[in-house]
Amino acid sequence: MKPILIAKNLTKSYAKGIFALNNVSFELDQGKVLVVMGPSGSGKSTLIRTINGLETFDKGELNILGIKIGSDNDERKIQKIRRRVGMVFQQFNLFPHLTILENITLAPIQVQKRQQKEAEEYGMYLLSQMGIESHSKKYPSQLSGGEQQRVAIARSLALKPELLLFDEPTSALDPERINEVLDEMRRLADQGMTMIVVTHEIKFAKEVSDQVLFIDSGKIIEISSPDVFFSNASHERSRKFLNQIN
Amino acid sequence: MNNLNSNLNTNLFKKLKRFLLSKSKYNFLNFICFVISISLTFNFLTWIFKSNWKVVTSNLNLYAFGSFPINEQWRPLFWFFILLSITLITIYGPKWNWLRKNLLFGWIGTVPLGIYLLNGGFGLDTVMTRNWGGLTLTILITSCSILFSLPIGILLALCRRSSIFLIQKLSSFYIDVMRAVPLIAVLFFGQLLIPLFLPVGIEIDRVWRAIIAFTLFVSAYIAEDIRGGLQSIPKNQIEAAKSLGLNKFQINIFILIPQALRVALPAITNQLIGLFQNTSLMSILGLMELLGVSRSILANPEFIGQYIEVYIWLASVYWLFCTTMALVSKKLEQKMTINKGF
Repeated sequence: MKPILIAKNLTKSYAKGIFALNNVSFELDQGKVLVVMGPSGSGKSTLIRTINGLETFDKGELNILGIKIGSDNDERKIQKIRRRVGMVFQQFNLFPHLTILENITLAPIQVQKRQQKEAEEYGMYLLSQMGIESHSKKYPSQLSGGEQQRVAIARSLALKPELLLFDEPTSALDPERINEVLDEMRRLADQGMTMIVVTHEIKFAKEVSDQVLFIDSGKIIEISSPDVFFSNASHERSRKFLNQIN
Repeated sequence: MNNLNSNLNTNLFKKLKRFLLSKSKYNFLNFICFVISISLTFNFLTWIFKSNWKVVTSNLNLYAFGSFPINEQWRPLFWFFILLSITLITIYGPKWNWLRKNLLFGWIGTVPLGIYLLNGGFGLDTVMTRNWGGLTLTILITSCSILFSLPIGILLALCRRSSIFLIQKLSSFYIDVMRAVPLIAVLFFGQLLIPLFLPVGIEIDRVWRAIIAFTLFVSAYIAEDIRGGLQSIPKNQIEAAKSLGLNKFQINIFILIPQALRVALPAITNQLIGLFQNTSLMSILGLMELLGVSRSILANPEFIGQYIEVYIWLASVYWLFCTTMALVSKKLEQKMTINKGF
């Protein structure tokens, strides 16, 4: 199977000797779920944000869906990638001045130039899949955190992306609300969506992921299948991390 | 203070009695203030009833329309009526969605309508701008300046945050210069210097020169208010918009400006109320707006020396209009904050 994402030697440093990313190379096949784990400040957010151009990098090469970007960070290529890669943030980042449905249809209408009616129908379909179609005329602040995060997922799905990025999607939620978001992500994985998920939810990682990438100080410590990673991690550093969060 | 607070619900007489009989040293001070304010109010009221208001009542036409031809005065009157009704609809009107969405266009439409009604042409007799005057002219200058300075202010604020060095510096320079110059100097500049800069044969009318000067001045202040609004928007809003593939222009139009305007609205209202009052400066430069007309009425030998009556009358007219503006903006704010749950 042809990989959907190839990262080669990605390197980003803030000051001399401090690396946010240090020679990061990995591949991701279509339809697979990659979970990124690591202690805070390890560069996992930076890694996922470079994939749709929210962060730049100094050296290396990214090949996403056949579009190559190098360290020149060509704005037009990044724009092309963003139209095909969706992203869900820790803080949901919904637009507070737009209704739920307007949040979802803004990009399809403005970026993909779709008809308003068609975009709204698809938006309502996505909301009903998530079971929140009754909220479509409300504003984000009237919804709970879990509902807002599901709207954010629907918003990124509205562009029919080929790759979805999740940056700690459940970290800002109440413990009771975490599962409703994880269930949606599970459903997407079952439908064959390619996903990269930064998360601390070990249960979710065990059940859903095909690969676990462990990163520390900007360096990939290991990439292995979840079975191996969670029971028999090959590196001392990963075992220490797992011990601490268990 | 406690004593006063607990009495708020009892009637006035009981309040007064307790107030006068209690023996706190503060109450003595209170009593003195009370007596002074009552006597002042009483004096003022007696003065109002005693004085001769003919200087106001017999010149109402002049205050409203200046020297606008009498046969054509229905035109500004009709414009006032339209303005009044759209104001009332904004403040007290029904909450139908389509109405609320089109109200903005209604407001924008009142300005060209006003210009058309005053100026004439297209079936109406043309009236020269030197005959425009009174409250009509004050409102026209204010509304035109608002209409022009808002988009220019937004543009300046965006330019000041631009990543292109030259644009950013030019916009900062313009804003800093305008804020460092007193308004009256800008108005003199508009009246005296703009004609010198224009090529021969092109003339801009006095009223339009005033509107240009006000627009130049106010847009710099509005730009700063909006820049404050822009800075209050969290960065993750821009990131979310970027990740959806929106380009810079779309992010500005759909994400940043609507949110920034909401935050900046109270400050912008402040500027616009200030603008309405500052139009009175034009009387120094010879325009017959509300204050200019009043000064010319005072120059009439029949009403000589009746300054106080005229200025009290003027103060109440300005108060009425500024309060109305504040009410409209309060309504807008409520609509934005409550309905949109911000």
